Amino acid sequence: MRAQFVFQEIWIGLRRNLTMTISLVITVAIAMALFGTGLLIRSQVDSSKSYWYDRIEVSVFLCAKTSSTPSCSRRDVTDQQKQVIEGQLKKLPQVAGVEYENKEQAFKRFKERFSGSPGFVESTQQGDIPDSYRIKLKNPEQYEEVAKVARSLGGVDQVINEREILKRFFNILNGLQGAALLIALIQVIAAVLLVGNTVRLSAFNRRRETGIMRLVGASNTYIQMPFILEGAIAGLIGGLFASVLLIFSKKLLIDRLAGNVEMVSQLGWSTVVYVIIVSICFGVLLCAAASFLTLRRYLRI
Amino acid sequence: MVLNRRDAAVIHFDNVTKAYPTQNRPALQHVNVAIEKGEFLFLVGPSGSGKSTFLRLVLKEERPSQGHVHVAGKDLSRLSNWKVPHLRRRIGCVFQDFRLLPNKNVFENVAFALEVIGKPRRFIGKVVPEVIDLVGLEGKAHRMPDELSGGEQQRVAIARAFVNRPMILLADEPTGNIDPATSIGIMKVLDRINRTGTTVVMATHDAAIVDAFRKRVVELEDGRVVRDQSRGVYGQAY
Repeated sequence: MRAQFVFQEIWIGLRRNLTMTISLVITVAIAMALFGTGLLIRSQVDSSKSYWYDRIEVSVFLCAKTSSTPSCSRRDVTDQQKQVIEGQLKKLPQVAGVEYENKEQAFKRFKERFSGSPGFVESTQQGDIPDSYRIKLKNPEQYEEVAKVARSLGGVDQVINEREILKRFFNILNGLQGAALLIALIQVIAAVLLVGNTVRLSAFNRRRETGIMRLVGASNTYIQMPFILEGAIAGLIGGLFASVLLIFSKKLLIDRLAGNVEMVSQLGWSTVVYVIIVSICFGVLLCAAASFLTLRRYLRI
Repeated sequence: MVLNRRDAAVIHFDNVTKAYPTQNRPALQHVNVAIEKGEFLFLVGPSGSGKSTFLRLVLKEERPSQGHVHVAGKDLSRLSNWKVPHLRRRIGCVFQDFRLLPNKNVFENVAFALEVIGKPRRFIGKVVPEVIDLVGLEGKAHRMPDELSGGEQQRVAIARAFVNRPMILLADEPTGNIDPATSIGIMKVLDRINRTGTTVVMATHDAAIVDAFRKRVVELEDGRVVRDQSRGVYGQAY
């Protein structure tokens, strides 16, 4: 009885404010989709970060004839220099391990890593990547000291910290995430204001009903419930649309990004489902709370 | 003697003053009235004399600036806000403008009062037709408000006010929008409800009705009780 009555009232309320309800649903959908996308990017960044940072190395590339660095003087590194370099690097306290990688191994690794972009691989030949020592650091933060020592040694062409390269990539992702969350925040504000207006209209449309309810002694919960549920249902519908958008954003944005840069740890559907559930709950709670707060202003109890 | 009367009172105004912040003169000043269970009381006086404020205080829609209002032996100033709905369930209200829901028929309008306080459907199905008969609207349960005359609409409003069998029925100028002949019918319904033991407080301008019914009359003027007379008439008694 009660439930049927309440739902009847909600239906009337939503129908009377149809245009407001539609705009509310759209706003909530966009807000929640962006919010969810932000979460998806974050979890993508987190999972790839930990994957990559475990494997991160400092590469000390050795001189080759093709090198244009002046200190190499267009000569290949000598075996003697190699021994000095290896010995010096191994002595450093920050270094966990040193591994030699010749041109064949380097090319093979390159092909693996960029298997997602065959064009890029084709334009590169074996021998383009010089011999190198790959240094594993005990603590990736201590990169600078190691690099300084390595650069001072004869026969060293370039010292490259993979972390720096990755950082740039992660910065892009972080920027995307920040932008998504920022727009989501603006949309959330718009949604809250819209909920406020919808509830105000709804309260005005139903002032006769609520007036009588008050008079005959309906409890506050009973009077407020239809309004709050109205907001919550609009939030739920918005959340459902958002989840469709999120599935698209996983397919179109995240998967493509991952395809380009071989992310190894691809975002699983379980994460997407988790994000969708969080977004829907957030949307529903947001709308219900906004309804509740505006009710206190526009509905005399 | 006075004490006994107050103990038995279903509504008791104890030196009540009500001042609205935007008005210089208080709407009610030092009002002392005790209304006993089962009484029928006319509240008379010109517009702005404080009749509506009196009724609103009984419903706890307003709080007195001074003094205490007791309803059913309870001091309303000590009644917490969440209990106010329970107070209002024991008080029925009728207004000059009926306040019916235009998109609901007679049955639904009366049933609404029970639905929103969570009464079960079976109970509603039983008591609503009884009350519709009591107010003299037999066979009109499925009419919409705009298909009814003013008098009939007011009967629907009375049915809605009475359907939960309140202890008190407050009527604020219930015959104000109704022609004199029809008003007699409305008064008969209120009288019938009064005979079931319900206390009826009716604010009115209608001298003819007050004079005809000879019930207790409390007259307000500028917020003061200037007359409290049993079996009174509208005008000043000589």
